[in-house]
Amino acid sequence: MNWPFLVILGAVVGFVSGLFGIGGGFLMAPILVFMGIPPTVAVASQASHVVASSTSGVISYSGQGLVDYRIGGIMAGGGALGALLGVEIFRYMRLLGQADLVVAVSYLLFLGVIGSLMLKESLTEILRQRRGETAPRKERRRPMWLYGLPFRMRFPRSGLYISVIPLIALGGFVGILSAIMGVGGGFILIPVMLYVLRMRASVVVGTSLFQIIITTAITTVLQAGRNQTVDIVLSSLLLFGGVVGAQYGARLSGRFRAESLRAALGMIVLAVGVYMGLELFVRPGDLFSLAPGVAG
Amino acid sequence: MMVPLPPPPPAYEAPAPERSIATQGDLRVAAALTNARVRVDSGFRGASIVLYGAVFNPTDRPADVVVVVRGPDAPVRLVRKSRNLGVWLNSRPVLFEGAPGFYMTASTRSLGDIADFGQLRRLGVGVDHLRIDAPEESSTVTRYGVRDVVISRLGEDYLDWRRAVIRLREAAALYNTDPEGVQFVDKGLFRAEVDLPTVAPTGQYFAEVWLFQDGAPVSVSNLTLTVEKVGLERDIYEFAHRSPWLYGILCVLLAAFTGWAASRIFRRN
Repeated sequence: MNWPFLVILGAVVGFVSGLFGIGGGFLMAPILVFMGIPPTVAVASQASHVVASSTSGVISYSGQGLVDYRIGGIMAGGGALGALLGVEIFRYMRLLGQADLVVAVSYLLFLGVIGSLMLKESLTEILRQRRGETAPRKERRRPMWLYGLPFRMRFPRSGLYISVIPLIALGGFVGILSAIMGVGGGFILIPVMLYVLRMRASVVVGTSLFQIIITTAITTVLQAGRNQTVDIVLSSLLLFGGVVGAQYGARLSGRFRAESLRAALGMIVLAVGVYMGLELFVRPGDLFSLAPGVAG
Repeated sequence: MMVPLPPPPPAYEAPAPERSIATQGDLRVAAALTNARVRVDSGFRGASIVLYGAVFNPTDRPADVVVVVRGPDAPVRLVRKSRNLGVWLNSRPVLFEGAPGFYMTASTRSLGDIADFGQLRRLGVGVDHLRIDAPEESSTVTRYGVRDVVISRLGEDYLDWRRAVIRLREAAALYNTDPEGVQFVDKGLFRAEVDLPTVAPTGQYFAEVWLFQDGAPVSVSNLTLTVEKVGLERDIYEFAHRSPWLYGILCVLLAAFTGWAASRIFRRN
């Protein structure tokens, strides 16, 4: 594999992730697969790329007091359980020769849905501003079921007093996705934290990044330990480029309007989901492929 | 249920020549490797096996040299995609109990011109004739909690699967046929070079040097060599498989450190 190309690829994906404030995992894995790296290796190796880009994010948010370690820690606990489960699922599917299917379906499903929602929401917002209308008042109440659950805790930084059960469940779900798709899961965490849990908006990104670091770190160790699919050379090349690109992307992001950025990101997310899903419907070039396992 | 693996290659043990090798004036071949220990540098271009040999041909009819290099046998798992309800899905993995991890022939001209189909099949010479072990009855084995189908050599789709193994291995440069791989450098002295890709398996390799005349094998020389991998990537690979947990923790620490370093460097600017 040619290494300058991988560094540049890391830088480009890092730039995009800095620009949109995302981890970039969902973008990296499909590009690696497109380049011919087996999906199992791509998914596992770029989880550490997510660790690197999230670490530098958390450091800058933490300096401004915008990370709620309490809520992030509880979600990360769920994330650890989810990662354990996800890696085992992934291991079994890989041996069954079905890892590609699981990766394709999860990308199509989650990225397709999230991308469509983002695109719809941001386009509505852009159209509304063009017409000079004001935004309708949003529903500020949390769903009632959140209040009915036991084990409630206070989270002063997020302005929350809620049960830990939905937090652990959310963390666990994202942990599974992290193992199967190699993503940090910010694209699911952030909307849920913002619109369902109604956390204080300023701490959402920092806290989600904190939870992502812990979950993807555990995923990386588990993938290496159980599946031996982490390629440290591949992931290092990607992340050296990635951290640099991310810094430049973040500087540029201030020049664009939030809605335009969200619309562009929605389109990218949707396109990636569809691209990964296409594999299910297009006749493959060779019907046969080698399955991992006995020959390593 | 495990069927015991067949004996290791060479598949065909050359019969001891009835006439003594020392007999002068006999048609025969002798060969030697320039290096019986081949080191493949995993980071770069692979390596090559270089073999020199001599043909003693007192007759006036021409003879052909065929070099077969075989890597260690290992089981192969394959899946086949088929269309179900409009979606392409992988089948249950199919297991071949053993196929050479590397198989390459080099010859003075194309194998089909040197000997006929039956002869090549009997000797197991040529990618089309290499041994891929399969029992007579298909069965299922459970490995790592997954049930694999062990393909039967009598099954109707056996040939499809067999061809797929060869095709995929050829695509990875692990199986190859080089009809011009044996070059005569002088009268009676030939040289053959076989390229090993970086993905070639390590272990004991067997090289057979056949001499054919009039479509029949007249002499064979068997050689063994050891292939080992060296280089940074190989060390990392070994480490990742020997202590995978420590390796994983190192990966995470490296990633976290890089992220931290980047944020320090860029904040100062």
